[in-house]
Amino acid sequence: MELLVFVIASGMVLVGAVGVVAMRNPVHSALGLVLTLFGVAVHFVAMEAHFLAAVQVIVYAGAIVVLFLFVIMLLGVDTAEDLSIEPVPIQRPLAVIIGVGTVVLVGTAVIRTRDTIARGPELEASGDSNIRLLARNLFSDQVLAFELTSVLFIVAVAGTVLMTRKQKRVAPDRDRVGS
Amino acid sequence: MIAAIVAQLGEWTAPVIDWHALAPELILVVGINLVLFIDLNIGEARKWAMATLTGFVLLAAFVPVVTLAVIGDASREMFDGRYVVDHYALILKAIFLLVAYVVVLMSQNELEEGGYYQGEFYVLMLCSVLGMVMMASSRDLVSIFVALELLSIPAYMMAAWRKRDVRSNEAGVKYYLLGVFASAVLLYGMSFLYGTTGSTKLVEIGEVLASGDLIAMQVVAIAFVIAGLAFKVSAVPFHSWAPDTYEGAPTPVTAFFSVASKAAGFVALMSLIFLAFPTATGVYQPLIWVLAVLTMTVGNVMALRQTNIVRMLAYSSVSQGGFILMPLAVAGTGDASQSAVRAVIVYLLIYAFMNLGAFAVVIAVSRKTRSGEITSFGGLFGYAPGMAAVMTIFMASLAGIPPLGGWIAKFNVFKTVIDAGSGAAYALAVIAAVNTVIAAAYYMRVLRQVWMMPAPDGDITPLATPAPVTAALGITAIGTLVLGVLPGLVLRFGDLQDLTGALGR
Amino acid sequence: MNVVALLAADPLLDGELRWTPLLIVVLKVLVIFVLGLVGTMFMVWFERKVVAGMQNRIGPNKAGPFGILQTLADGTKLFFKEIMNPARSDPWVFRLAPFLAFVPAFLVWSVIPLGGDFTEGRDGTVTWFGQVTRVQLADPPVGILLVLAMSSIAVYGIMLAGWASGSKYPLLGSVRASAQMISYEAALGLSLAAVLLSAGTLSTAGIVAGQNSLSNWNLVATGFVPFFVFLVAVTAELNRPPFDLVEAEQELVGGFHTEYSGIPFALFYLAEFMNTITMSAIVVTLFLGGPQPITIGETTLSIGFIPGALEGTLWFVLKLLAFLYAFVWFRATLPRLRYDQLMDLGWKFMIPISLGWFLLLAAIRTGDANQWNPVVVVVSSLVLLGLGYLLFVAALRVSARNREREGAMF
Repeated sequence: MELLVFVIASGMVLVGAVGVVAMRNPVHSALGLVLTLFGVAVHFVAMEAHFLAAVQVIVYAGAIVVLFLFVIMLLGVDTAEDLSIEPVPIQRPLAVIIGVGTVVLVGTAVIRTRDTIARGPELEASGDSNIRLLARNLFSDQVLAFELTSVLFIVAVAGTVLMTRKQKRVAPDRDRVGS
Repeated sequence: MIAAIVAQLGEWTAPVIDWHALAPELILVVGINLVLFIDLNIGEARKWAMATLTGFVLLAAFVPVVTLAVIGDASREMFDGRYVVDHYALILKAIFLLVAYVVVLMSQNELEEGGYYQGEFYVLMLCSVLGMVMMASSRDLVSIFVALELLSIPAYMMAAWRKRDVRSNEAGVKYYLLGVFASAVLLYGMSFLYGTTGSTKLVEIGEVLASGDLIAMQVVAIAFVIAGLAFKVSAVPFHSWAPDTYEGAPTPVTAFFSVASKAAGFVALMSLIFLAFPTATGVYQPLIWVLAVLTMTVGNVMALRQTNIVRMLAYSSVSQGGFILMPLAVAGTGDASQSAVRAVIVYLLIYAFMNLGAFAVVIAVSRKTRSGEITSFGGLFGYAPGMAAVMTIFMASLAGIPPLGGWIAKFNVFKTVIDAGSGAAYALAVIAAVNTVIAAAYYMRVLRQVWMMPAPDGDITPLATPAPVTAALGITAIGTLVLGVLPGLVLRFGDLQDLTGALGR
Repeated sequence: MNVVALLAADPLLDGELRWTPLLIVVLKVLVIFVLGLVGTMFMVWFERKVVAGMQNRIGPNKAGPFGILQTLADGTKLFFKEIMNPARSDPWVFRLAPFLAFVPAFLVWSVIPLGGDFTEGRDGTVTWFGQVTRVQLADPPVGILLVLAMSSIAVYGIMLAGWASGSKYPLLGSVRASAQMISYEAALGLSLAAVLLSAGTLSTAGIVAGQNSLSNWNLVATGFVPFFVFLVAVTAELNRPPFDLVEAEQELVGGFHTEYSGIPFALFYLAEFMNTITMSAIVVTLFLGGPQPITIGETTLSIGFIPGALEGTLWFVLKLLAFLYAFVWFRATLPRLRYDQLMDLGWKFMIPISLGWFLLLAAIRTGDANQWNPVVVVVSSLVLLGLGYLLFVAALRVSARNREREGAMF
């Protein structure tokens, strides 16, 4: 049963991931991403990290990819890009080589170490213990990083508003140290 | 580790917080909100005040750094050793705050006269500085990552601050895409590290790595982490964003990136190498050795060919990054581990002064010439002898000519590498020496323009340098000179608490 | 058997997996499926009948007694209609979208406690065929988060339906819908957080078990405000009037499902009404004690002649009907909001107020735990929150002023 769930979830993740890259239409790619995220959520459930699974779906699938879709739809880039013109001819083969190389590297690393990786202690999944553990960790050991993440939101909001705003006023382009 | 947490699930104790040690961060957070709110409520005509306010916030954050250093009880640990304020952290915090202050001085007139959003710019800059200050104390993968994002994300936006300019947009997008990619690689490596060691705390990771042979996934993890950070410090071959971003971004922002962001990347690298990977010398040393050699060589060769001063400084900063990597490449060999941290910190400090100074000169001169070409510096000595003199100081210092700061920095780096005493170290030293000579060529080319060439269009009206830029020039020039003449200042400062010791080992 | 552990909170599934429990689970699934469909059918009829009554009409009255079979007739008609694929549609996504809307609507049923034996202080479990179990399909430890997750998946159905139609009005409708749903999900989550703070658990069964008397109902325990915020947010989340800008006929023809016909349209229609029922059920579960009988002090309003195991279901249905009626009532009486009013209400009123209320509740709890003077705690929190609100108002005024002076900046 566990193996079956693992295989199905991993299949979702892989198919989704390949879909993200291979699909021509950005909306289909985004849907592939959703599939991947769901697969990860299933893995979380199988590992009894229920809270993470729920958050994975709510935050990633429910908010982030929806925003991707918004951008894709509203900017009208939802038609396939013309990829036939290649500005730097070598980059595609190079990308393939590096991609395959990374997969092989990580793959061999995993295979070579599959016996030596220390198994984490088993957690009993008694109700809310997951959430309590997470909360304890976040609000004691990681509390500073957690709190300062809120500054990141200020950055995101201030920055986004600024970037989407029109230029304040037209002034001579004087600080440009270009040619 | 998880078992330990389960065991203590019973009672909840709030973490002990040392408010004094956290004061610089807290002051910055308060300052961010203050600048944001005041900026909202004042009129367009008085926006210049935001620069002043930001300057005061930075100075206020400097105060607790000084008091902590004066009290000097070696190190204050918080959150189970995940956030440490020791001499190492304090020196770096001081460097970051100082750099930010100088950048504020440099940007005030640029932003005001260019008609850019000012308040938000300083808010983002303060956020970035907050990330750096946090980075200096972080001893945990999570807080290192949060700090890294906190310092990078505002930087992506600052790079695109000249919104009407296509090249600034390009700079922002390039920096953003590659930066995010680097973060992903870093995070991937970090997840492997956590997965194979069961801890996010650097010291605990170090203990697990030291306890036996490295397994393959740990090797991959270390390589990924170093590659991710190599993007941030723009080490070759992960440097391709740097020249375009530096050229497209507003010049004060470029100065900020080339000094502060880069230094923060080095800080993360140092914390990881000295705390988490000290025993993994077989993995990180060759990696960084290759990175250092490539970085300084490619940076130099590319810099030689540039005609635009900002692009030249961009490549020069890439190659300087290679020099800063050198001590880390031998950090685990022989006696070098003792002096490597000091060499890096001293280099970062001096590099901050001289590079910021060079950018300040570029800003001051381009206000008149409206050009970024190196030839536009022609005749500078004729109409602005003072400016020519400080430019000489900075260029000579960057080239490493005694008795200026840059020389001390390079001397320390070489000394560390020689201390290591291995074959690889000697090879590195030789390559670095060759590179120093190449570098001197392009720095001298600028000086040749300054001293010997006539002004390109015969325009010899004097420069009108605004007071803040002059102040920035003064601070950086004095810093470069004093550290060169009295190197004991920083070297002693490095001995206060032998810094590798201060890192908690 | 890690996966089964997901359901382990139900005593039914403790220990070895045997045939009887398995059959009970299958039975539950069947009942919920049928109940869901029949309930939806009923809801459509109920809505039409009540609206008709409020507008002085008769409403459906031909098919069956009181026209109760009208929905069945409509449904049968839809099933025999041709399924159209617009020429410019994206065929694959166009077909996928109705299912993305429909399936989450159904799945929410699985975590709602539909009944249980709460007489004489029992904990809501019932005994069927010698097995102790709960009257709900599953009680995962993250129960209520599953509801949020499903409602965030439902956004995809609407969004992709509009996009895949390859037509302008549906696209506008779907962008409106998803923007609205995302905006109100924040308020929804924050008011939910107040409930979780008082319940101390995410499991729906746990939340119901905590509300064992009227003063423990989260409606009272969280001080009414989260309830109202939740109710409004739910209405917006359901895209029901007065928040039905999604299908504003005057502006958008029919909204995101303009191009749909036949069975796919029926699925959207079903999903919409089923969501109304499930969301009402969620409100009942979270704030009104779910299947718990009304207990005031020591007295329990008990319905004598009904066996304890069924009484919970009866209470649940009664409470549910009250909310269904309320939703229909909203629809019949309230005029539709304008889009900017909708967003203002969501972002500038509901989110701040639910956040502030949440912080206040948290402060009171912390004060209780540390035995601080409650008056001081409340007053100082209110002062702080008021200060925050003033800053917020100041910012809004500045932005309004700037907009007036400089025009839209975007």
